[in-house]
Amino acid sequence: MFPADFDYVVPRSVDEAVAMLVHYGDDAKVLAGGQSLIPMMKLRIASPRVLIDVNGIAELAGLRRDGDRLVLGALCRHADVAASPLVREHLPLMHDAAQLTADVQVRNRGTVAGSLAHADPAGDWPAALLALDTHVTVAGPDGTRTVPLAAFLVDAYTTQLGANELITQVAVGIPPGRTGGAYAKFERRAGDFAVASAGVQVTLDEAGRCAAVAISCGAVAPSPFRARAAEAMLAGQALSEDLLAQAEHAVRDEASPFADTRGSVEYKRHLAGVLVRRACVAALARARGERVDTLHL
Amino acid sequence: MTRSDSRYVGASVRSKEAPRHVTGRGRFVDDLVLPRMLHAFVLRSPYAHARIVSANAGRAAHATGVYGVITPDDVVRLTTPFKPGRYAAGLRVPVPEYATAVGKVRYVGEPVAMVAASSRPEAEDALELIDVEYEPLPAIVTTEAAAAPDATLIYDELGTNVAWQGHVSFGDVDAAFARADRVVSANLGIHRYSSTPLEPFACLVDPTPERLTLYCNCQNPEVVYEAITEALGIDGVRVAVPDVGGGFGQKIHLIRKYAVLTALMAVQTGRPVKWIEDRSEHMMAAGHSCDQEFDVEAAVRNDGEVLGLRIADTDDVGGSVSTLTIHFTNKLNNLFNTYRVQNLRLEGRSVLTNKCPVVPNRGIGKPGMCFIWERMMDAVAQELGLDPIAVRRRNLVTQDQFPYTTPNGNIIGSGDYQGLLDRALKNIGYEDIRAQQKTGNDRLIGIGVVIGLEPGGRNAARDMAIFPKSKQMPGAGGVEGATVKIEKNGSVVFTLGAPSCGQSHETTAAQIVADVLGIPPDRISASGGWDSSLSPWGVSCANSGNNFHLYDIGAVHGAAMRVREKVLTLAAHLLKVDRSALDLRDGIVGRVPSAAPNSSADGPATITFAELGKIAYANQALLPEGFEGGLEATYYHSHPHADPGMLPDETGRVRAQYTFGSAAHAALVEVDPGTGRVKVLRYVIVSDNGTMINPSVVDGQIYGSAAHGISVALGEGFVYGDDGQLLTLTLLDYGKSTTLETPRIEIEHHPVPDPYTTLGQKAAGEGAAIPSPAAIASAVENALSPFGARVRRLPLTPERVWNLMHVSR
Ligand SMILES: Cc1cc2nc3c(=O)[nH]c(=O)nc-3n(C[C@H](O)[C@H](O)[C@H](O)COP(=O)(O)OP(=O)(O)OC[C@H]3O[C@@H](n4cnc5c(N)ncnc54)[C@H](O)[C@@H]3O)c2cc1C
Repeated sequence: MFPADFDYVVPRSVDEAVAMLVHYGDDAKVLAGGQSLIPMMKLRIASPRVLIDVNGIAELAGLRRDGDRLVLGALCRHADVAASPLVREHLPLMHDAAQLTADVQVRNRGTVAGSLAHADPAGDWPAALLALDTHVTVAGPDGTRTVPLAAFLVDAYTTQLGANELITQVAVGIPPGRTGGAYAKFERRAGDFAVASAGVQVTLDEAGRCAAVAISCGAVAPSPFRARAAEAMLAGQALSEDLLAQAEHAVRDEASPFADTRGSVEYKRHLAGVLVRRACVAALARARGERVDTLHL
Repeated sequence: MTRSDSRYVGASVRSKEAPRHVTGRGRFVDDLVLPRMLHAFVLRSPYAHARIVSANAGRAAHATGVYGVITPDDVVRLTTPFKPGRYAAGLRVPVPEYATAVGKVRYVGEPVAMVAASSRPEAEDALELIDVEYEPLPAIVTTEAAAAPDATLIYDELGTNVAWQGHVSFGDVDAAFARADRVVSANLGIHRYSSTPLEPFACLVDPTPERLTLYCNCQNPEVVYEAITEALGIDGVRVAVPDVGGGFGQKIHLIRKYAVLTALMAVQTGRPVKWIEDRSEHMMAAGHSCDQEFDVEAAVRNDGEVLGLRIADTDDVGGSVSTLTIHFTNKLNNLFNTYRVQNLRLEGRSVLTNKCPVVPNRGIGKPGMCFIWERMMDAVAQELGLDPIAVRRRNLVTQDQFPYTTPNGNIIGSGDYQGLLDRALKNIGYEDIRAQQKTGNDRLIGIGVVIGLEPGGRNAARDMAIFPKSKQMPGAGGVEGATVKIEKNGSVVFTLGAPSCGQSHETTAAQIVADVLGIPPDRISASGGWDSSLSPWGVSCANSGNNFHLYDIGAVHGAAMRVREKVLTLAAHLLKVDRSALDLRDGIVGRVPSAAPNSSADGPATITFAELGKIAYANQALLPEGFEGGLEATYYHSHPHADPGMLPDETGRVRAQYTFGSAAHAALVEVDPGTGRVKVLRYVIVSDNGTMINPSVVDGQIYGSAAHGISVALGEGFVYGDDGQLLTLTLLDYGKSTTLETPRIEIEHHPVPDPYTTLGQKAAGEGAAIPSPAAIASAVENALSPFGARVRRLPLTPERVWNLMHVSR
């Protein structure tokens, strides 16, 4: 379990990192938290010749509020999100996702940006952030560009990121109004990847009806997806038990999971529905101002 | 020392091992560094089943840093194959098995070659340069496929993949079924798992000119000792076992392959060679517990009395014949669990597949036997509309029957099975839970209560009961030594006859010595790790078989008693008093106050161990006549009442093990109807481990074994793909429960001393791993009663539980 031989370089700025990416090209990999990359290197699934360790780039650290957006630097760790009162208050869905990702050690090292770049179909951040207004900013030899997350994620383990590009930040819109979100995850045991997961953000109108809703599903398709059919059912409606049950069914049909050691196709479809429904209930309660703890299923 | 005269036995004295382990100062094989040491790595089969067309060191031999490569040809040329041992007693045709695959690979991860280099990464790089050409064969991953008439043969020599079939039968089974009011039947199954010790296999071989030393984290040193001696044909072998990071049965058997390979590499290169297995290698190839399938029929009367059982047991033993019958033979240990049923027939089939070979795992065979009995007790209760506890009570061995001889010859010295059940029911609040269940609510809450036997102390002759024609008697009964020594400075050192894998043997043995010699455990230490040339070891030298409590405790107690005798003789001589007037306390020998009222007149009233030590080792002039110098003694212990039943009789009755602890387990669970997840709300154990030497050590064994058994029941396990690839190579995928899924284990002790052991002690090492899978199964079935679901197989993953709700609906 030792990686193949590699060189290790440490840029001090984004520009320097981009220059290194250009210089080494396909032979290089960015090292952020290392929680996906290092295990792959030890298993020799990945054997980059050069590691560009971006952990020393101060400008990429932490998270902050910038007007109506929450901005995560590329080095913002899962644990930073979990500990942030700002996130807890305004984006409880993200708080849930951070709590439910991996274990303490991994959360202390792993980054949100790294998780998006890695694009594991069962990863929590791609699924969770898809239910929010999320944009990814990348820096390359020709400057920076910003893409919506839905466009950034292309397929399982595949993103729009070019070989000589670096994610510099991830920005999430803070939803306005009477709104609440929740992220639900079913894992075989604490610290594991999701068998299925769901993110729901609901905004209520004056009458308490669903003014807007976003539903994302993780681990039940090659890539996380928005459950549009279920969203359409709920939008504009009073969210009754019946309606939620219908949405649960709709989600089952929208999912296209594959079977693996975590579950069969049938079971994963079923779970996707159950999770969307439970996340809906929690999001709804939060939108109404009730305190709901992260769901541990 | 009599049983009542104990200050330290029975107390939860502080652990001797814990300080070094919690401060990271344990000494494990990987901590040892020798000059000029090389690092080895093993090339493993990527195929479940394939012919090896060719294998050559080729480019690897010339890679940077490489000192040696061993291929299957080298292994055949330079080593003798392993003898089929006790574990393969049922093997009909000799099949040569070597340290690497030869000619064929039979499971993913089977060792094929080894390379040694000056660093581990270099060895790993070089591995990719060994050229092996394979011709893949169909992979067989189920026993049905293996037993099919046209199945590809895993061993051509055997002519079939059903490598062994046999049976044992006690009582008159046919008559029992003829008398029965009805027959209750079920098809039951337990899957492959492992205790996944924190430390995988590790070997370091030092080939000095005088002899070859193997440092190894094995449980049963005899296995690697003999393997190296025979495979390499050398006498000068020494095995040393330093700290070991968990055993559980994993480190008994297959580790011998790597000991031989590492030794061969050391001999070939003339350098010390270290080989440390990594986690995925351990998951693939270090051994799994056996997946077992049981077709069971119970002959019952309408009042719940069980007259007899018929069991057809199919064991999937994986891709090696070397452990062919060990899972079957171990069922003799608790063949009747805690029940007084007189008639039982167990038929066995050992079927080869292209999976990892099976090895013992905490309780081997016994969790399966307990699972059979306890699942059947519930099935009988359902079929007859009786209370499951009442059915158990109806069949338990009763108080007046002890010492109780089971139909297959085990002699159970003592126990209180009804008492265990009473307490378990009370502690979990059984009646209240049942009442609440009747009032009906939406929650799927279930309770399961089971009882299990914990056999301890192995009889080496056991397997001869099934294989009377075994060419070589593997030994009989048990013999195990220990040495105790008072040093010249008055401190006490002991050496045990068997290694430890982290079960606090140093702590418990010190408590025994402390009471016998009257010196606090703080002034007693273990001499260090196990060493074949220093440790007094016999046939029971094994960190397995639940041997420690019987043999090692007996031996260290006996050795301490001998030293005590010497102390008394010497002190009586020096103090000029009668021995009977002397007492040992806090490292001082003195006159019992009442025995010598005018002692002050006769000179010194006391003498310390240090003073005695100086005289015993250094001052012959002061020794009494005929006194052998020194204050040291070795004692070999055997079970004092091993006969009758040590050797099997003509009907196959034998004392498989010698002591029998027992426990009742009660589990309260809740099933999530949406996901199928089982949450264990409460878990209660009432345990009879006989006289406890250190209750907190016993608790530790119970916590660990219960946590494991519960995790096994709820989902941990090995999963193979149809192509024979192991899909669970990491602990994450394997799915071991974490502390977050593990319930608090509530323990009550209900000790009934064993009449035959030194201090009344019984075993505690396998413990809760035996009944806990059955307890969870019972509770989940009860929770699913609204669906009429029957729990027949493990593991109860959320998906399986969801299916049980779904299918029954
Ligand atoms: C035991 C364990 C359990 C886990 N459980 C979970 C879980 O439950 N849920 C979950 O979602 N994840 C889980 N993970 C994965 C974890 O969340 C990873 O941290 C995350 O997927 C990757 O983030 P990282 O910072 O560690 O990235 P790294 O491992 O450093 O990199 C991952 C990939 O992203 C690229 N990359 C990283 N940062 C950038 C950047 N700024 N710009 C461009 N490319 C970049 C790297 O080059 C690499 O290809 C687990 C990991 C472990 C080891």
